[in-house]
Amino acid sequence: MTYHTLLFILVAAAAITAVMARSLLLSAIMLALVSVGASLILFDFQAPWAAVFELSVCAGLITVLFVSAVSLIRNEESKVKDLRARFYAMPLVIAIVAVAAWFYGIPFFDSLKNCALPGGRDNSLGSILWDIRRFDLLGQVLILAAGVFVINSIFPRRKKQK
Amino acid sequence: MINSFTLDWFFITLIFSAGLYCMLVSRNLLRQFIGLEIMSKSCLLGVISVGSLTGNLALAQALIITMIVIEVVVVAVGLSLLVKNYRLTNSIDIWSLNKLRG
Repeated sequence: MTYHTLLFILVAAAAITAVMARSLLLSAIMLALVSVGASLILFDFQAPWAAVFELSVCAGLITVLFVSAVSLIRNEESKVKDLRARFYAMPLVIAIVAVAAWFYGIPFFDSLKNCALPGGRDNSLGSILWDIRRFDLLGQVLILAAGVFVINSIFPRRKKQK
Repeated sequence: MINSFTLDWFFITLIFSAGLYCMLVSRNLLRQFIGLEIMSKSCLLGVISVGSLTGNLALAQALIITMIVIEVVVVAVGLSLLVKNYRLTNSIDIWSLNKLRG
């Protein structure tokens, strides 16, 4: 079993643990572990820029956001009546999906692999990001601005009472 | 012998189904977000796997960076809506979000 496959097993196990964990804090930490595993997979695919982004933003910033949200709603955590039986049934569901994917998915993915065409361009990340897909950057900036605007309007600054 | 690409996609299917199952069965809004994050991670792994197969790693990285930026904004806005909803209704149950039914 290769290092690559072991990383995928780690990510899948962390994802299943994040879903099944009773505590929301443990779920958030397992989600961070999923992100760390995904960034290691990206490093293994020789994609260091995406891996660094994934590690710093998803494993860092998003985990901080989740943990702070959990700490803000901690009192409410146990009041939501999730049916735990559904979560305990999850390994069975995943096992059924795994068996189905093994018998039906793998031939399909093999056929996809045979259909794959080699990429024409061999540019650097910089030229793709700044030249070819420049319009994406405009969209990213607009989405960031929209996010800041929404958060600013959801939590307005309190005015001092005179 | 199963090749690496096929095995990658087998695990990506499992990770995606775990996130989808979480979103389907949970009534907790925060768990819905965790399910969404897991699904987006599996999509990210799919993009990089296909990029590696076709030799378009730089393009796949550019798409992943775009995806991560959008993901962060979605999570930040979603969590702020969750906290605001909790302050107003004192609940994070998704079934309590029925005030807009008209």
